[in-house]
Amino acid sequence: MYSFAIGKLLRAATVLLGVSFLTFIIGHASGDPVLLMVRGDATAQQKADLRHSLGLDRPVLTQYASYVGNALHGDLGISYRQRIAVGQLIRLRLPNSLELAGAAFTAAIFLGFALGILAALNRDRAVDHAVAGLSILGQVVPGFWLGLMLVLLFAVHWQILPVSGSGGLAHLVLPAATLALPTLGRMARLVRAGMLDVLSSDYIRTARAKGLTERQVLLGHAVKNALLPLVTQAGLEFGDMVGSAFIIETVFAWPGLGRMTVNAVLQRDFLVVQGCVLVTAAGFVVINLTVDLLYAWIDPRVRGR
Amino acid sequence: MMRRRWKKSELSSPRRFTLVLLLLGTAALQVSCGSKPSSAIVIASVSDVSSLDPHLLDSNHPTGSVIWSIFDSLVRRGPDGADLPRLATSWERIDDLTWRFHLRHGVKFQDGSPFTAADVKFSFDRMNKPPFSAVQQLWAQTTLKEVRTVDDGTIELLTARPSVTMLYWLEEAFIAPKGYYSSHDAAYLNTHPVGSGPYKLVEWTPGDHLTLTANRDYFGAAAALKDVVFKVVPDVSARLNGLATGDIDLALELSPDTIGQAKTAHSRPEEVLGLRKVHFGISQNSKLAALRDPRVRRALNYAIDVPTMIKTLMHGSTVPLTSVVNPPNADPTLTPYGYHPDRARQLLAEAGYGQGFDLDIDFSPFWGQDKDTCETVAGYLNAVGIRTKLHADEWNDFRRKLSDQSFDGLFFAGWAALINPSVELVIFTCKQEDNASGYCDPKYDDLVHRASTEYDVGKRKALTDAAQKMVWNDAYWIFLWRASLYAGLSDRIDYQLRPDDYVEIYLAKPRS
Repeated sequence: MYSFAIGKLLRAATVLLGVSFLTFIIGHASGDPVLLMVRGDATAQQKADLRHSLGLDRPVLTQYASYVGNALHGDLGISYRQRIAVGQLIRLRLPNSLELAGAAFTAAIFLGFALGILAALNRDRAVDHAVAGLSILGQVVPGFWLGLMLVLLFAVHWQILPVSGSGGLAHLVLPAATLALPTLGRMARLVRAGMLDVLSSDYIRTARAKGLTERQVLLGHAVKNALLPLVTQAGLEFGDMVGSAFIIETVFAWPGLGRMTVNAVLQRDFLVVQGCVLVTAAGFVVINLTVDLLYAWIDPRVRGR
Repeated sequence: MMRRRWKKSELSSPRRFTLVLLLLGTAALQVSCGSKPSSAIVIASVSDVSSLDPHLLDSNHPTGSVIWSIFDSLVRRGPDGADLPRLATSWERIDDLTWRFHLRHGVKFQDGSPFTAADVKFSFDRMNKPPFSAVQQLWAQTTLKEVRTVDDGTIELLTARPSVTMLYWLEEAFIAPKGYYSSHDAAYLNTHPVGSGPYKLVEWTPGDHLTLTANRDYFGAAAALKDVVFKVVPDVSARLNGLATGDIDLALELSPDTIGQAKTAHSRPEEVLGLRKVHFGISQNSKLAALRDPRVRRALNYAIDVPTMIKTLMHGSTVPLTSVVNPPNADPTLTPYGYHPDRARQLLAEAGYGQGFDLDIDFSPFWGQDKDTCETVAGYLNAVGIRTKLHADEWNDFRRKLSDQSFDGLFFAGWAALINPSVELVIFTCKQEDNASGYCDPKYDDLVHRASTEYDVGKRKALTDAAQKMVWNDAYWIFLWRASLYAGLSDRIDYQLRPDDYVEIYLAKPRS
């Protein structure tokens, strides 16, 4: 078990190193942050001075080496643009992203699960079609449009929820709902398919035959087996929600990690990009580990292997 | 039977959900009502402040608006470009190379320290060091070479050459207290500003909001709005929605096609004729010899119907350019080219391009209405036989091409949201960093350089008028219009927007 864990961790470290290296190289190849910081009339000498004071005149590999060295000590550098420690910027944004993604994720998983089961048990009936419709709608309606429509209804017309920004629970409802809908749709369809598959299998017939109540059959046997494919998908979805909620964050002026990353890319604020990508990548690694462990917990066959 | 029983119990589940949703909704209702700011005025902008260090000031809004609120400069720039007293009460030129400023007495910084000449010297010297020197142009543009303190209340600025733009650049040179700024590190200063201005910083959450509160010890008239929040709301619809619900009091950076929506039960639209000159640069480093022929450049100007574009694309809220220099300094004898496609074709034929030519047009989403404008202009140019190709550049890429002068055809740009002919004309001087088109005419340089060192108003006007005529008659740009500002104001405040994008929120008043 230890060797399993150490192997996983080593692999995770390699992934992070690889990701950071690629981000660094691609970032530096893509443009010059100094050009975006200075006034148009700055002289070549002034630009060179600024480049030097930011350490950008060193070879890229030297810059990368010192970056990794500092990162190992927990220092992610200072934003070129805002001259604030990257760690501090991330500490400001990450909780917001986790809050939004957490709320959306929880809502999507629970509602998606409930709707999926409901649809499976009412196969080809109105409920099933309604769920199918909702899940397709969730995936085809673009987030920015849905967000705007929700804002128009709930915030502008009825004025029961705030228009934008972060703050209390009320601020969370609309962005979380917008972010949740596509995932909810995918979840509902996955669960429905999984349940139908499981419900037609032999062991369910056996369970019914031995006189278990329908509730026992469903909760004790069917649901647990239908969970498996869901866990993998759910892990990916959560990672996605944290790292790429950019559009939702823009529409709702939600100060999350996604918007910070995209702005940093546009401004070539490399160290911020680097920090955000690392945090997101680390998140994915942790999620994948969790998924692996969950698999083992849910499915004894995996443990045996 | 069993099946039905199960369904019954499951049916209660949606009911429970409904109940939970209702409860959530009620909770949300209470939170949203409770969280509405009672008195703070909220200003919503696309982007965040980039730094609170006054010597890293890099854009008029929002960074500039906040720096102007927390700090004071020696001289204040009026909305019409007038030079007004601020921390300096008066000034005079002792000779062509020496300016003397008399400083205001009894001013205190927000940390309690008194304002003296030593703070001025400290601040200006700081601006001359990297990283500040790349962002601040005071020294480079005025040929400043020494800041000399005469006594606590008097300072002298010595320049290498006479500098008519001294007051202009001083208006963007902010005074920080020497004691505080020399005893803290850069990262700390960047988020903990201390100035002498009408507002003090309460908090800054980068990427989200920045809160100011009125400085009670301000030397001048106290700000009428006590608490002000600068909020980052990147999406234009979100800014408009906030205006409609009363969450936002000043929604900035709206667009000509959305300005109508700023008129709601609580708010009104505001369109202000700006100062930035929107144009197409015409690359002189191009492979195309045609672009170096003044006849072709005039033809490009005649081919485009600027008034119609203003009416259809800009909500009719601006005017065609009549010079590279803004009024009141624009040469009054110059008039717009007007829409004369026949004359354009004739000029092209005269220049030997009757068959037209292939022309690249680069643009980047920075100056607003970029895509619509470029597509329309491409259409007008096609109509006189020029075959255009549009390129949408990412902003970093566009900036690089501006600074390398490496555009090959036309590029869509804005220039100089300010009123100062010497600063405005510099764009076409040889080897100047802003000169992205790559013009270089010694005769023009001579006019501009003489004007920038000429203190006699009449003589200077003659020189700047002559330079403007060269730019206009040889059509250095395709001249479009002055960028307009589109904003929405709530019924809670009265404020007259400045044409140069700075927001002096300390001049705003509550609406009675």
